[in-house]
Amino acid sequence: MTERTPIASLAGVSKIYGAGETQVNALEGADLSVYPGEILLIEGPSGSGKTTLISILGLLMRPTSGDVFVRGQRVTGLAQRELPPIRAGTFGFIFQGFNLFPALTAEENVAIAIKMKDPRARDADAEARRLLTAVGLDNRMHHKPGDLSGGQKQRVAIARALGGDPPIIIGDEPTAALDTRTALGVMALLRELASIQGRAVVVVTHDPRLERFADRVARVEDGRVTAVDTIDHSRAA
Amino acid sequence: MWTLARKILLHDRIKFTVAAAGVSISVMLVLVQIGLYLGFMQNASNLIDHATADVWVTGEGSENFDFSAPIDERAFYRVASVPGVAHAERMLLAFGQFRLADGGTQGVQVVGLEPGGRLLRPWNVVAGDPARIHQAGAIMVDVTEAAKLKLDRVGERREIFGVRAEVVGLTRGIRSFTTSPFVWTDLDSARAYALYPAERFNYVLVEAAPGVDPGDLARRLDQLPGLDAYTGPTMSARARHYWSSRTGVGAGFFTTAALGVIVGLVVVGQILYNGTLEHLKEYGTLKAMGARDGAILRVIVYQALISAAVGLVLGGGLALAARAAMAGANLNVLLTRDLVIVTAILTAVMCCLASLLSVIKVLRLDPASVFKG
Repeated sequence: MTERTPIASLAGVSKIYGAGETQVNALEGADLSVYPGEILLIEGPSGSGKTTLISILGLLMRPTSGDVFVRGQRVTGLAQRELPPIRAGTFGFIFQGFNLFPALTAEENVAIAIKMKDPRARDADAEARRLLTAVGLDNRMHHKPGDLSGGQKQRVAIARALGGDPPIIIGDEPTAALDTRTALGVMALLRELASIQGRAVVVVTHDPRLERFADRVARVEDGRVTAVDTIDHSRAA
Repeated sequence: MWTLARKILLHDRIKFTVAAAGVSISVMLVLVQIGLYLGFMQNASNLIDHATADVWVTGEGSENFDFSAPIDERAFYRVASVPGVAHAERMLLAFGQFRLADGGTQGVQVVGLEPGGRLLRPWNVVAGDPARIHQAGAIMVDVTEAAKLKLDRVGERREIFGVRAEVVGLTRGIRSFTTSPFVWTDLDSARAYALYPAERFNYVLVEAAPGVDPGDLARRLDQLPGLDAYTGPTMSARARHYWSSRTGVGAGFFTTAALGVIVGLVVVGQILYNGTLEHLKEYGTLKAMGARDGAILRVIVYQALISAAVGLVLGGGLALAARAAMAGANLNVLLTRDLVIVTAILTAVMCCLASLLSVIKVLRLDPASVFKG
């Protein structure tokens, strides 16, 4: 693993909210690399800094200090307006609450994300259908979120995250709102994205059962990345 | 983007109905109020706009077309002798008391025309012979004023200030701003009907000689002692401006129209803002994935424009219905093409302004907020 080149990495990243007596050190000197083809779980108690970590990793938030690298490029010094194109070409996001437009069908939800990422995208509708088929929703394309189960909604969200073919998928507790069977199904799908398609998948979770799908687990406590463990699947098997 | 905007807007039909109703009422108020104003203003300059006179001459210091100062024969000859005047004719516009069939009275505006005059004649004649108004005691009235004058046929006889008057013709749609019906007659009869002294009148209508600029001619005529002279368009504008600005009529209509715009702004703004708040997570998700602010803002502005378009169509329909209803009450709602175009632009601007709060909300939306539960 160490011989591979990370697709994204944090180097000595800190994030401080507020100032003076209200100052909070949300993240302190975090080092973390993300590699293609792996699932990296971020685990830690509430308020430990997991969300801040993935927000900075996903270029949604600027660190107070330290550097962020994407595909080897230092992006910390870039202007705010330069970040959306990098995010569009690099990251897909999935959330606990799915965040799908209730008025749109599954196909439209995916297609609109593709069009918004790249207004010049040709035939976003066909691409949306292809992605929905890939996540096993070929028979639910014209259903609205209200007519889909939780697992199906999350699959739509995954298809949407895959729009624009990003190499990194970041999930914020994507299985928290799902029952165990559905949650495992969603994780199996993310595992495929990593193993077969070579994408890096970063998932924030409280659920230790998901470790069976992961390659590594980063543990965050009190704003520090205290450990990054490689999962030995051969021993579990 | 249009699809997303339309679907978000129509997803909650009740909210969309409220938004469309808000815009419709706003559009209707603007169209009807400004249409009524234009109708009144059309009436204010009706006679001037239908005259073919290049220049209007009247007594010095006259502010109001309907209450102009008298001038005399000497003034007429001075005007007629100015180089560049091809033709001049006298006209009297004054008030009289029309005796009704039931014994009551109705104030009227008497329009006295010079025999053989050609610069102003009654138009839209629907009955009778307009040439006969130059017979002594002959008058023409408008059929839309029949209820006020309590007559509707050629041949009926009445009195104006005790002087006999016989209806020899009827027009349609010639109405005054003062709401007193016009009574067309010849100059001598008009003096009798309006208790005006002999050889007095209050306008000289002038036709400029070929090649003479009416503006230059008006400036030269204006130099004559005791007289003011204006070109036809200037005279028309003055007549409208007086009633519009000096009486507060314009302010009244425009205030109501402005209130309509405010109602539309508030209703549409509220609906769009609520809709934006409801979809904040989805918009945040798109921003997180790299969607530019402009792309998301287009969705919001498109929602505003769809609301504007629907409201414009429905409001336009309501305004047409109101116009038809008001026509029965002799109120002229003038819905011109320019008014419709301006209202359409105003409605689009109004709805876009209403979306401003939503736009600001999205611009300030931190994409990292999508991770905050």
